[in-house]
Amino acid sequence: MSSEFDISRNITIGQYVPTGSFIHRLDPRIKLLIFVFLVVAIALNTSYIGNAVGLILSLYLFWASKIPISYGLSGVKPAIPFIIILAVLQLLFQGQLFSGGKVFVDYGFILITSESIRLVIVSAVRFIEIIFLSSVLTLSTSTTELTHSIQSLLSPLKKMNFPVHEISLITTISIRFVPTFAIEMEKMMKAQASRGADFGSGSWWRIIQRTKEMFPIIIPLFNIALARAEDLILAMEARCYTPGGERSTYSVYKAVTKDYLILLVGLLLTLLLLFYPFPI
Amino acid sequence: MTVKPIIEIENLTHTYMKGTPMEHVALKGTNLYVEAGECIAIIGHTGSGKSTLIQHLNGLIRPESGRVVIDGEDLAKKKIDLKTLRRKVGIVFQNPEDQIFEKIIGDDIAYGPFKMGLPLKEVRERVKWAMSVVGLDFEEMKDRQTFALSGGQKRKVALAGILALKPKILVLDEPTAGLDPRSRNELLDKIKRLNKEEKLTVIFVSHNMEEVAMLADRVYVMADGKDVLSGTPKEIFTDKEKLVRHQIGTPETVQVLYRLTDLGYQVRTDAFSITEAADEIMKLFAGRKEGTEHVQRI
Amino acid sequence: MDPIIRLENVSFSYKINEKTKVSVLKNISLSIFPGEYVAIIGHNGSGKSTLSKLLNGILTPDHGEVWVHGHNTKDTNKKRAIRQAVGMVFQHPDNQIVATIVEEDVAFGLENIGVPREEMKKRVDEALNVVKMSPFRHRPPHHLSGGQKQRVAIAGVLAMQPECIVFDEATSMLDSFGRKEVIQVMRQMNNMGMTIITVTHHMSEAAEAGRIIVVEDGEIVMDGTPREIFKHKQELEALKLEVPSVSQMAEVIHRQFADFSRDIIHEHEFIGEVEEFLSGGVGS
Repeated sequence: MSSEFDISRNITIGQYVPTGSFIHRLDPRIKLLIFVFLVVAIALNTSYIGNAVGLILSLYLFWASKIPISYGLSGVKPAIPFIIILAVLQLLFQGQLFSGGKVFVDYGFILITSESIRLVIVSAVRFIEIIFLSSVLTLSTSTTELTHSIQSLLSPLKKMNFPVHEISLITTISIRFVPTFAIEMEKMMKAQASRGADFGSGSWWRIIQRTKEMFPIIIPLFNIALARAEDLILAMEARCYTPGGERSTYSVYKAVTKDYLILLVGLLLTLLLLFYPFPI
Repeated sequence: MTVKPIIEIENLTHTYMKGTPMEHVALKGTNLYVEAGECIAIIGHTGSGKSTLIQHLNGLIRPESGRVVIDGEDLAKKKIDLKTLRRKVGIVFQNPEDQIFEKIIGDDIAYGPFKMGLPLKEVRERVKWAMSVVGLDFEEMKDRQTFALSGGQKRKVALAGILALKPKILVLDEPTAGLDPRSRNELLDKIKRLNKEEKLTVIFVSHNMEEVAMLADRVYVMADGKDVLSGTPKEIFTDKEKLVRHQIGTPETVQVLYRLTDLGYQVRTDAFSITEAADEIMKLFAGRKEGTEHVQRI
Repeated sequence: MDPIIRLENVSFSYKINEKTKVSVLKNISLSIFPGEYVAIIGHNGSGKSTLSKLLNGILTPDHGEVWVHGHNTKDTNKKRAIRQAVGMVFQHPDNQIVATIVEEDVAFGLENIGVPREEMKKRVDEALNVVKMSPFRHRPPHHLSGGQKQRVAIAGVLAMQPECIVFDEATSMLDSFGRKEVIQVMRQMNNMGMTIITVTHHMSEAAEAGRIIVVEDGEIVMDGTPREIFKHKQELEALKLEVPSVSQMAEVIHRQFADFSRDIIHEHEFIGEVEEFLSGGVGS
């Protein structure tokens, strides 16, 4: 990385990659539903073969969505330190909880068994699977489709006076402004650095000092956010927005037979991962 | 060229998000030479690499390949003294009024000098000087609230905040964007004076060709991550073929003169000011003067 | 003809705190008629932007009344009718786009007024065509240039089929190319019969209009066609407003050659005048 300020470009939320594959064209509500099912199934599966199936499945989905696997890998890259730390911690401290199988090391409180090794390997693979699956979901679904899907999956709650539409609008607006604010923040950091601000140095224990260093960034960003919000309210009002008012919707999704078939396949895979007694 | 340039940029490249699928090449081997005391305009479309280029000038972005030498310091070196560099090169970003964060004008302008660790007296002197240069009365304005200022005044405060660092090189990204004519002319006047009287080297990015024609000694035209054209405003705005090819706008006066040459009239096209252009057109009327005097208008 | 918008002795002030108020508009009366193309000019702080926000009830006057199609903007029951009649495009391209996809944003206003889906599709298509943004309909807004974002915002207003659109310094954040794009769209919509009100400090933009209103210190100081307004060069200069370059050039030439008309506001007029002058046609 050649710059100390590359923030906006590191944000991958809303990085929609339109390739027009059948995964892109899938009804987003069904896509989201299958995603939730699979993530739950993978999170609960502790078998080697089960997770191998999950990994192959997520790689297949990348291939099927015609999105270069490098996108998935760039999602995994920043997570590697976490995966390693998690693995080390699990290996050292969770042996007592998963003490089945063959014992390899038994030294003081450290107990390494074939079961605890299984836990470490499976957790790491699971982590990668879930990153891959989320990447496929967000790279093949526009944020608009996603928020609409969340809205329609939550819509049964409307009967309980839950403000589904307002929540979904807030979500949309927040997502809409993520890149804008990232650009703003990067610009502000550069502008203040040009005035002599220094964000990188200073000892970490001097928390007050370091927090104070952030004021020249935080205060202007806060002002900008407020000004933006005010403008946005005016613009929304000028376009006849009334909170809680009756609205029609522009995007309507209609699931077709193909979508239901894929939902069925997704369900079967979920059940397989959840209940099939994999030998290892 | 005998004088050693204060800014030497050669064959500079920059790629955002290198090595990721989002990779984007912003600079593809651009050059920029500026001598001390010059006033340089950089023009080009959005996305031509102007912003990326100017951010190299104070080390906000480090050179990926190519040469960046600022006042004798090679920025390709691993260890450079960023603090000193950023004092030497003051960058005023677009809409700089956004970066004001103190409640009181004087405090905000003093932020830079304080960060340099200057003694209070010196800081005060600098704030006073910077405010006078941008045309804010020190005694009257220093304790005013920043939020109550008009847009034009806020921009002056922001500019003073950079000037208080006493930079040798002043870089401005679209300094007049969004200002009304009154504030715009005032600000342009200040920039001109900083260049001519305070002897600052000035580099500014602009979309306003009148401004470019009025202020700049030389112009660099950027397109697609490269410097495609450079020269004095006269050289740039009279090269019609290149203006069209690179889709560069011209001052309104020049536009009128071009229309006239298209129609076959013999006029020079390098007259930027209203009076110069009018004079140029009136040359066409020479010999008609006597003829027109007795024509009565009804 | 009845005016679309009528202001009657309107005053407006901003409250700074409990005690102090800053008077922004003083006793303004004004009528805007259907099909007009009006530019409101004045420097920053003259009150022109506040004036524009009174035109569709975003702000309501302290004294006096604003009538839109006979509805008083103070009447909260008529808010929707008023805002449907008078749409508004704001200064910051980024702060008026709510959706993450262009076409969804254009549909936002239509969703708010409950337009049925089929009708909505049609109107979104039409509006995007008018502003020439159809190829970008599936793009996220942050990938667009300033001029493109403003055109999306215009489409969002246009889709609601208002009779009048107010542009509140809508070109001030744009570069010259973006500005040209937006001005072209304004002219085109006016040709289609839409009433256009543009608040600006760019004189070349004001010269496009059929009528210019000059605001200074909360009052209307001039109101007339661009030709009439730009004749008052000295008054405008005193207000730190510039007349278009071609008018200035014509003025300089006029001082030397009395027959050269000073009454010029467009480039093509200037060129025409030079040609006519040289061919000796002037004055005959």
